[in-house]
Amino acid sequence: MKQLVLAVIFVLILITSLIKTSTKEIEDQIFIVKENIRPLKSELEDALLEFNYLSSPEKLVQYQTQYFEKDLIKIEIMNIKEIIKNNETLEIKDLISKNENEQ
Amino acid sequence: MKMNNKKNIILEEYENEFSYKKSKTNLDIQFNRIAFIFFVFLVISVIYSIQLLHLGSLKEENTKEFSTINKNYRADILDRNGNYLVKTVKSIDIGINPIEVIDKKKLLINLQLIFPDKNYEEITKKLEKNKFFYLEKKISSDNYEKIMLLGDKSIKSEEKLTRIYPQKNLFSHIIGQIDDDNKGISGLEKSFNEKLKQTNEPLKLTVDTDIQFLIREELVKFQSIFRSKGSTAILMNVNNGEIISMVSYPDFDLNKREKIVDLNFINRATKGVYELGSVFKTFTVAAGLEEGLIDTDTEFLNLEKKLQCGKSSISEYDNKIPSDLTVEQILIRSGNIGSVRIGQKLEIIKLKAFLEKIGILSKINFDIEEVGEPIPFKWGKCKLATVSFGHGITTTPLQLAKAYAIISNGGFAIEPSLIKKELKDPEKERRIIKAGISEKINPILRKIVNTKEGTAGLVNIEGYEVGGKTGTAQKTIVGGYSKAKVNTFAGIFPTSKPKYVLIVLLDEPKTSSDYVYEYKNKKGSYKGTPFNTAGWTSVEVAGKIIEKIGPILATKHIEN
Repeated sequence: MKQLVLAVIFVLILITSLIKTSTKEIEDQIFIVKENIRPLKSELEDALLEFNYLSSPEKLVQYQTQYFEKDLIKIEIMNIKEIIKNNETLEIKDLISKNENEQ
Repeated sequence: MKMNNKKNIILEEYENEFSYKKSKTNLDIQFNRIAFIFFVFLVISVIYSIQLLHLGSLKEENTKEFSTINKNYRADILDRNGNYLVKTVKSIDIGINPIEVIDKKKLLINLQLIFPDKNYEEITKKLEKNKFFYLEKKISSDNYEKIMLLGDKSIKSEEKLTRIYPQKNLFSHIIGQIDDDNKGISGLEKSFNEKLKQTNEPLKLTVDTDIQFLIREELVKFQSIFRSKGSTAILMNVNNGEIISMVSYPDFDLNKREKIVDLNFINRATKGVYELGSVFKTFTVAAGLEEGLIDTDTEFLNLEKKLQCGKSSISEYDNKIPSDLTVEQILIRSGNIGSVRIGQKLEIIKLKAFLEKIGILSKINFDIEEVGEPIPFKWGKCKLATVSFGHGITTTPLQLAKAYAIISNGGFAIEPSLIKKELKDPEKERRIIKAGISEKINPILRKIVNTKEGTAGLVNIEGYEVGGKTGTAQKTIVGGYSKAKVNTFAGIFPTSKPKYVLIVLLDEPKTSSDYVYEYKNKKGSYKGTPFNTAGWTSVEVAGKIIEKIGPILATKHIEN
C-alpha cells in the first residue's frame, strides 16, 4: 500500500514535470506572440492618437469653415427620420414624435 | 638451561552479555525507512512545487517590474467613446558629451545639415565648455534616425515619457495638471495619481468629447456677449449620475504646463460655492410634496407683496404677481412670498432634512478633490424664510445638478461620477424621495419653459421637452450683497421621461445691447438684453447648448 502511494506520488511528479515542459513551450509561444503584438499595439495607439487629434471637434470645425462652409447645414431634430426594419419591410418614422398636447 | 617459560594462561570465564533481542522500543525500523524515503520525496516535491509556484507568479512579477522601471509611466485617459484625452508618449532627448567628440568641425557640419535652424555659435561655445548639454529635446523620429546614423559616440540619446493632451483646453479642469515629476497636482491626475501609476489599463471617463466641445463653444461665445467673469455648465445623466460634460470657463491648455495662480481659473462647477437663488424653490416645493403638507393645486391666498423679517425685507421680484397662487403657480411664476409660506409650513427640521437628503448642505464626495464646501449657517425663522426661495444658502453647481437629478428621476439616489462604470438600473437603487414626487414636479418645470408665465421660455427648443427653473442671485460680499449677479438655469429633458440634467451658470454677467433674441414661444425677435436675469442670460445659453447637443444625444445612443 505504502509503495503504491509512493509510486502514485512519483508518477504525479513525473506527469507534472511533463505538463510543465509542454506548457513552457506554449508559454514561450505566447511570449513571442505578445512581444510581436507589443509594437503593433504601440503603433495602433499612435495612429489612434493622431486620428483623435485630426478628427477632434476643434479640427472638424476648422475643416468645415475651410472647405464646407456652405455645404454643411444644421438639421432640426424634428426633421430627423428613423429607419425601422420590420421583417422584410422598412418603415420610416420621425425620430422625435411631435406631442400635440405639448406645443 | 631449560627455562621454564611456561606460562599459565588462565582463561577467565567470560560471560558474554550480548544477546540479540528485538528492540523493546516502539520504533519500527522498516517503517522509518519508508517514512524517510517518503520524507525525501516530500521535500523534493515541496521544492518542485515552490519552483512551479515561482514560475507561475513570474507574470505578475513582470508587471510589477514594469511599473517600477517606468517610474514616470502614467496610464492614458479616454472619453466614453474611447478617444484619447490624455496619452503618455515616449520622447527622445538628444544630448552631446563634448569630451567624447573626435572631430568638432565635422560634427558641427553634420548637425547643421540635420538642424539648419539652430544657433551654432551657441553650440560651438557649449562644445568648448566640455560639459554635457542637450541639443534637441523631444526629437522627431526622422531627425532621430538621421542623427543616430552619424554614429558619433558623443551623441547621447535619452528616452523620456511625456504626457500629451490632444484636446488641449477642453478637459483642463477635469483632468488637471501634473508637476515636473509626473505627479498629479489637480483634477483626476491628482485623485487617481496612484491608480494611473500602477495600472497599464487606460482610465475611461463618462465624458463625451464632442458634447464637451459644443458646450464649451457656447460658453466661450456667450462670455463675450454677456461679458461675464466666468461660466460653467454641467450635463449629467439623471439615472446613473454619469457626467457627460462638465465645462468651467475660463480654462487653460494642459500641454503648456503653466502654473495657474489666478483664482478666476477655478473649477466653477465643483469648487465654486454660490448662492443660487430661485432654483432652490423647486426643493421647497418638492419637500412640501414629500411631507404631504401641500399638493400642486394647494392654494395660498392673500399673499403679501412684502415681508419683514428682522432688519431685512423679502419682496416679490415681479410686482404683477397675483396674491392668490397655487403651489404650481408659485413655482412657475417664481413667487418669493409663496415659497416662504411653503417653507414656513415645512418648518426648519423638515426643510433641512430634505436638503440634506438631496445632498445640498454638505460637501460632496466626488472623483476630483477640487470640491467646494457649502457655507454653514445657523437656522432660524428668517433663515428658513430666505432659504425657502434660495437666498442665504450656498452650494456648488455640481450639487445642484445632483439634487435636480434626484428630484426628476423618480427620487432615486445617484452620485455624480466622471469614471465610467457598469450601468446601473436606477430602479434597483435606493429610493430617497417618495414615489410620485417627480411626476408632480417635472410637469411644473416643463410649464416654466413652455408657458407665457414661466421664466425660461428661451430654452423651449422643439423636440426636446425641456423643463427647468431659473435662479438670479446677487453675489455675497462680506456683510451683505454686491450688485454683481449669478444667473443660473437648472434644466431637465425630456420632462416626460427625464434623461439629462443641464446646469448653466454665468458668474457676473452683464446685459448686452446688441444681442438678438429669437423668441421660442412666439414669433419674432428682440434686440438687447432687457434685464440682467437668468431668464435672459443663462436660459438663452442653455437653449443654444441644447440646440447643438440635442441631435447628438438623440441619435448617438449615449447610454452605451
